[in-house]
Amino acid sequence: MSVPLPAEKPPIVEVAGLTKVYGTGAAEVRALDGVDLVVPEGQFITVMGPSGCGKSTLLNLLGGLDTPTAGTISIDGTPLGEMPDDRLTELRRRRIGFVFQFFNLIPVLNAVENASLPLRLDGDADADGRATTWLERIGLGDRLRNRPDQLSGGQQQRVAIARALSTEPALVLADEPTGNLDSKSAGEIGGLLRQVSADWGRSVLMVTHDPRIASFAERLVLMRDGRVVDDLVLDGSHEAPRRALEKAGLL
Amino acid sequence: MKLTITLAWRYLRGRGSRSFLTTLAVVFGVMLTFGLNGILPAMVDAFTHNLLAAAGKVDLTVTSAYNQPFRPDVVDRLLAVPGVATASPGVQRVAPLPRSADAAPDALAQVVVVGIDLATVGGVHDFPLDSGRMLASADNNAVVMNADLASELGLGVGDQLVLPAAGGTARFRVVGLLSAATVPGQEQVYLTLPAAQQLFGLGSRITQVEAAFTADADRAATEKAVAAALGPDYQVGGLSSESSLLASLQTAEFAFTLFGLFALATAGFIIANSFRTVVAERRRDIGMLRAIGTRRRTVMGMFLVESLIQGVIGTGLGILAGWGLAAGLFAAMSPVFESVLHFRIGGPVFTASTWVTSVLLGIGVTVVAAIVPARAAGRVTPLEAMRPQVGAVYERRVGRRAWIGVGLVVVSLFGLTTGSASLVGLGAVVFLVGIALVAPAVVNPITNWASRPLELVFSREGAIARSNLQRNPGRSAITVTAVMLGLASIVAVISMVTSIFAGFTTYLDKSLSADYLLIPQSIILGQGNVAAGPRLTDDVRAVPGIAAVSTLRVTQAKSDGGDVQVIGIDPATYLKVAAFDWNSGSSDAAVAQLGTGRWVVANGIYAAQHSLMVGQAVLLDTPNGPRTYHLAGIGNDYLNAKLSTLYTSQENLQRDFNVTADLLLMANRTAAADPDQVKAQLNRVVGDFPAFRLYESSTWRAEQMKTFSATTVIFDVLVAALALPSLLALVNTLAISVLTRTREIGMLRAVGATRRQVRRMVMAESLLLSVIGTVFGAVAGLWLGYALVVAMSAVGWQMPYAFPWSGLVATVVVGITFGVLAAIGPARSAARLDVVAALHQE
Repeated sequence: MSVPLPAEKPPIVEVAGLTKVYGTGAAEVRALDGVDLVVPEGQFITVMGPSGCGKSTLLNLLGGLDTPTAGTISIDGTPLGEMPDDRLTELRRRRIGFVFQFFNLIPVLNAVENASLPLRLDGDADADGRATTWLERIGLGDRLRNRPDQLSGGQQQRVAIARALSTEPALVLADEPTGNLDSKSAGEIGGLLRQVSADWGRSVLMVTHDPRIASFAERLVLMRDGRVVDDLVLDGSHEAPRRALEKAGLL
Repeated sequence: MKLTITLAWRYLRGRGSRSFLTTLAVVFGVMLTFGLNGILPAMVDAFTHNLLAAAGKVDLTVTSAYNQPFRPDVVDRLLAVPGVATASPGVQRVAPLPRSADAAPDALAQVVVVGIDLATVGGVHDFPLDSGRMLASADNNAVVMNADLASELGLGVGDQLVLPAAGGTARFRVVGLLSAATVPGQEQVYLTLPAAQQLFGLGSRITQVEAAFTADADRAATEKAVAAALGPDYQVGGLSSESSLLASLQTAEFAFTLFGLFALATAGFIIANSFRTVVAERRRDIGMLRAIGTRRRTVMGMFLVESLIQGVIGTGLGILAGWGLAAGLFAAMSPVFESVLHFRIGGPVFTASTWVTSVLLGIGVTVVAAIVPARAAGRVTPLEAMRPQVGAVYERRVGRRAWIGVGLVVVSLFGLTTGSASLVGLGAVVFLVGIALVAPAVVNPITNWASRPLELVFSREGAIARSNLQRNPGRSAITVTAVMLGLASIVAVISMVTSIFAGFTTYLDKSLSADYLLIPQSIILGQGNVAAGPRLTDDVRAVPGIAAVSTLRVTQAKSDGGDVQVIGIDPATYLKVAAFDWNSGSSDAAVAQLGTGRWVVANGIYAAQHSLMVGQAVLLDTPNGPRTYHLAGIGNDYLNAKLSTLYTSQENLQRDFNVTADLLLMANRTAAADPDQVKAQLNRVVGDFPAFRLYESSTWRAEQMKTFSATTVIFDVLVAALALPSLLALVNTLAISVLTRTREIGMLRAVGATRRQVRRMVMAESLLLSVIGTVFGAVAGLWLGYALVVAMSAVGWQMPYAFPWSGLVATVVVGITFGVLAAIGPARSAARLDVVAALHQE
């Protein structure tokens, strides 16, 4: 069931026995229940499962946005453990890129300024230059000075991806990145994320509901009730994720 | 840091109208602080120098102890004393006017001729020219005088004034008229010093030196040093007897500063409210920033920088507006003051401390108000970026805060009732902060109660409005508090003005219960006043139709090193023609007591200065050595409301001070007497005493009231300026509450609310908020006004508390009108919302 690691690629994400419990007593909810997961460098992995299966919780824990009840997380060789907020913040800034469902761009900043935010936060002297390079790579070279309200949804999400990539992170976490887009734009974003892993060598972990978007990934993790129920390699066909979901009884 | 500034600036610009409203609050606060502080020193200056002291910039006057002319080298000795800035030699003598046969019986019989040294007099007196020109050094037979005096004498520029000279008469040409007001008894005409010396045959000798101190001089110490330097041959008169007046003015100044603070506190509430909303709106942005690696500190810093930018811009504009307010007020008031009070009030004066205070307060209040919201922003978790939630849920510690508020209100009551001005000020601020903390806890129940009548008018919309307010009691409480602060200051100001006015009216009516006053035309303190012997009193008493006559005798004494005016009254007759406004614990019995030994009645100022209680000893330096008096009572009269004064029997005045002459005579006529006849008879009597002049009390009273009304103009303007920030607070909160509920309003419209209903809902919200704020403000303001009146009494400015009925009604009307006005803009924009766009807004 589990996928063997390509030996030559070092792991970027190592998760062991990850458990997250919300509430206590009768109100206790086990959002994650002993999840083990290893993501090697440059792999595009997608996590699917019904609502409440724990995929968002997994993403939040990997991003250091929330703390686990039990288990360990290591990102790019650094254990998250009991890291104080400021160090965790720094790790997020330098090693992890985030892509959100609602793009979350700052409405009063233009494309370059939004994409260069993490670099500026890090005091990078060439923040705008590097952000511009990424925007040009992902095809927004002609919209550099536009503010979010002057961009389409797909374009806004591209800016968000440029923002996530601008710090050259080891890991990109994408939470329903196409959930707020039309199907044409969603396909483009899926292709772009594959490019992020295949051409630019970043590990990408994407949570999605859309089997068609999931098919852009090279590996699919299926979750239910806080556990990993399947973990398989995808062949790029649009039907593969749907078949896997059907097989696991998740459709 | 650069990013923080960029973000802050972009957000400010991106939300232009919001930023504008918030900044406007700062502008108003700073405008009031800066503007009022620019007006007040100039006003106080004008009052002390022009109107009440009537002494120009004179800090000290030197005259001969023997009423003799002296050599002018005193000027140099005076200038050698540290702290003395200017000394101007002069001559002051009374000169009778030639009387024509057909002159009216009450026509002016004499003037005070003042010789001024043109080179130095500018340092101690102003001569505001109305027409013509000022004296020049070559003018040997030119004269200038006040325009009102000239018109009384029937003179104009170019006319001649004939004065008796050492040999025969001398003719002077009127070359200029001054715009200052002439105080009855001080009808002065000005000559050059050499001309006056020649007129009175004084050679090079002078009769007085007037001096002004340097700005930093210690008044009392300098007066002492001058007295020591000149020796016992000279009498040194200072303004120290006016220091009590200065104390009252300082109290007023303090009260105004307090109102400036209120305005800024209101601004602080508006800013805090605005930033809370801004933080709530940007939770998603903040969450994202935190997720992609922004530290808490940076997020907090972003909001603080935003507030700093607004503080700086708001303060800058506020200072400009404050300058405009001050200049505008002066422009508006100048004609009033010049035509009614005959004095120039100059222009606004902005001291270095005004600048520093305004800048520090303006920026400080803005940043401090943003701290709590900024901290809340720092605490937003990165998870907010993932799970957006509409409408912030604030940690509400309403209960605990309300109890702290109750505690503060209780504590403030102690401060407010101490009677000490500074404690009252502190108490006032603590009181308002306490109320502000209690407000969130009581807003919901009060809203429940207050919305009932509203729902009768607004039916369904009223109920929605009520639940809108109750859903976010924190925000509602802040609006209520802002309205409350604004209206409380208004009610307090009105209370104070009403009480001051009522106090003066009472003084006037009580003290001047006499029908006639006979006052000498020239009262020159320290120069042997023209006073009358017993014959005048006897003659007046003999006039048919005169019921009672009583006289006042006046002298100066020293008490504890300070000057005090001692007035001798006749205990047997005084109360028939005049009255005291007694402090509690004293009564008319004290007057009878004056006749039974060395007893005195002190006025409020004297009693407050020496913290005296009835029965205590009062040590007075008299020409016959120190004498111990005892305090029989504490009471006030109008004539001496502003001077430190003691009243004793005329018998005591004769025995200890050797004063027997009457300075002022008061008389009542019998009920049956014909006023015209009595007046004609009295005029005949006064005709034999050219130094005295007959006044009818009613005329005199009317003149005093007119003067006083003119000075209240400034209060009206102040009240208007205080009202504006409250309006702004309402507009701001309403606008923000509409902005934050864009989606909700869109939903209401989608499910079938008409534009009209949305408009009425916002209007109902506004009315509810303003009604509650008005009630809070009225109650708090009444109490504050009362405390201020008590505080003024404590420093000796005794006044009865007058309940400001009309002011209260006006405030309630204004408050509710503001509620409607403030809602117009937000209600329209809410009604115009594009439903589809509103629903899509995140």
